[in-house]
Amino acid sequence: MRLVSLELRNYRNYARLNLEPATGLNVLLGPNGQGKTNLLESVALLALSSSPRARRESELVGPLGPEARVGALVEGRGRLAEIRIWVRIEAGVTRRRIEVDGLPRRAVDLPGLFRVTLFWPEDLNLIKAGPEHRRRLLNQLLVQVRPGYARALARYGRVLEQRNSLLKRVANGEQPADALDVWDLQLARTGVELVAGRREVMQALAPEAARFHSQISGGEALEVAYEGPPEELLQALHQSRSDDLRRGATGVGPHRDDLSVRLDGADARSFASQGQQRTTVISLKLAEAAVVTALTGERPVLLLDDVLSELDATRRSALLEHLADPGQVIVTSVEADPFPARVIGRSRVWQVRQGRLLPCG
Amino acid sequence: MAELPAALEDLIQELSRLPGVGPRTAQRLAFHVLRADRARAEALARAILEVKSRIGYCERCWNIAEEPLCTICRSPRRDPSVICVVESPLDLLAIERTGEYQGLYHVLNGVFSPIEGVGPEDLHVPDLLERARSGVREVILATDADVEGETTAVYIGRALAPLGVAVTRPAHGLPVGGSLEYADERTLARALSARQAF
Repeated sequence: MRLVSLELRNYRNYARLNLEPATGLNVLLGPNGQGKTNLLESVALLALSSSPRARRESELVGPLGPEARVGALVEGRGRLAEIRIWVRIEAGVTRRRIEVDGLPRRAVDLPGLFRVTLFWPEDLNLIKAGPEHRRRLLNQLLVQVRPGYARALARYGRVLEQRNSLLKRVANGEQPADALDVWDLQLARTGVELVAGRREVMQALAPEAARFHSQISGGEALEVAYEGPPEELLQALHQSRSDDLRRGATGVGPHRDDLSVRLDGADARSFASQGQQRTTVISLKLAEAAVVTALTGERPVLLLDDVLSELDATRRSALLEHLADPGQVIVTSVEADPFPARVIGRSRVWQVRQGRLLPCG
Repeated sequence: MAELPAALEDLIQELSRLPGVGPRTAQRLAFHVLRADRARAEALARAILEVKSRIGYCERCWNIAEEPLCTICRSPRRDPSVICVVESPLDLLAIERTGEYQGLYHVLNGVFSPIEGVGPEDLHVPDLLERARSGVREVILATDADVEGETTAVYIGRALAPLGVAVTRPAHGLPVGGSLEYADERTLARALSARQAF
């Protein structure tokens, strides 16, 4: 998998950018606030169809007009595809339009064409952060490797929203309680699709993560496992109905899923040290890339946002060693320091200054 | 900034309440009406009034109608033993255009959507059940394939189950003349699982 070229127009702080990254390691250097992360975000957008970090899509539109555009030529399995995404603000409403090779494509049908593995500084807190962060890891992985998952996820979200709304209406007597039956059924049906995907991908992810972790930590045992909803989801929904009605929210289902993380048998979510957490996250991220490779036959493009400077020498070199695998990597950093000379020597390096890229070396 | 005359401002206001019409478009339309012949403007105003005073809903199927029953329910050539359930009169028109369907309809004029406060009673589901009890052998659930349409179909399907009528749903599959390569996975998967003997 390869990003052949990237074109940004009025995207955040990029007025216009044309970039042709190298097939191997690409390093973007520059002080904070110059646009390094924005660039990685635009690449992630091509893979996921929505930004993994923007709270509102309108944030993506720069100051030079009502529309931002991200265009790219990507290559997968020897075939080129042209992806274009427009984000436009009109009368206060933000709309996104996607085209692949000139044909319109729905946002839920884009992921899987161009695949990335993201590693942001926030990921370093993944182990002790809320379960929604660990679910996001699963979702970002699954939409890219399992056809139909993105749609199932969107449908599930919509069904959940409807059921929660109905819970409140039933609680205050606007609708009869048996109106919930059909939403329970729909939630269970769609939920099963998500659970199947998550279970399957975790079977691949867990051993990979354990292998990387043992290598980096010198023998510590990492066990990650999927914590899904009860097997009989429909029955569980019926059982939790009275609680749900009181809360006005659905208490069981894959929207409450988590990953259990154990280090040498102890729950890492409560006990891991800072260093152990970071090793675990690196292991999970490397495992994620390995799983995408195994399932699709192609390495995803790795996007690392300023993570190296956060790591000590051992973990940094562990990560860099794996970055040396053939495959495209785009990494940002404030300084060149974290990169050993031999790594910098065979990478393409740019300086990022106020939304402009200057090649160096 | 100069103010527009109140009458023009009112027209812009009303137009911008129409679906799909933003403030800009409303302005353009209003100025268009202003510049148009008096006769044209009157024809538009009359058409709007007429549509409200002459058109109501069919007592039997909730399609739009100029009389107590819509043209389809009045037709002696339609087969009253089959009812096709659709979300809107526009969906009904789409099916009529195929020329393939000879039965009657039931127009929900909405879908089951708690967020919008729409429940089964708002969709005249009890009326449908009443109709299905007498001489109906098949009910086709032709609601959309989105979450609300699907859920509405499931709801009605379950309500009809005890009545012993056949309940069907139009097949989802590949577009006619479409290329397999461009079909999305879900459509392709459905089309494959609903394949027919060739």
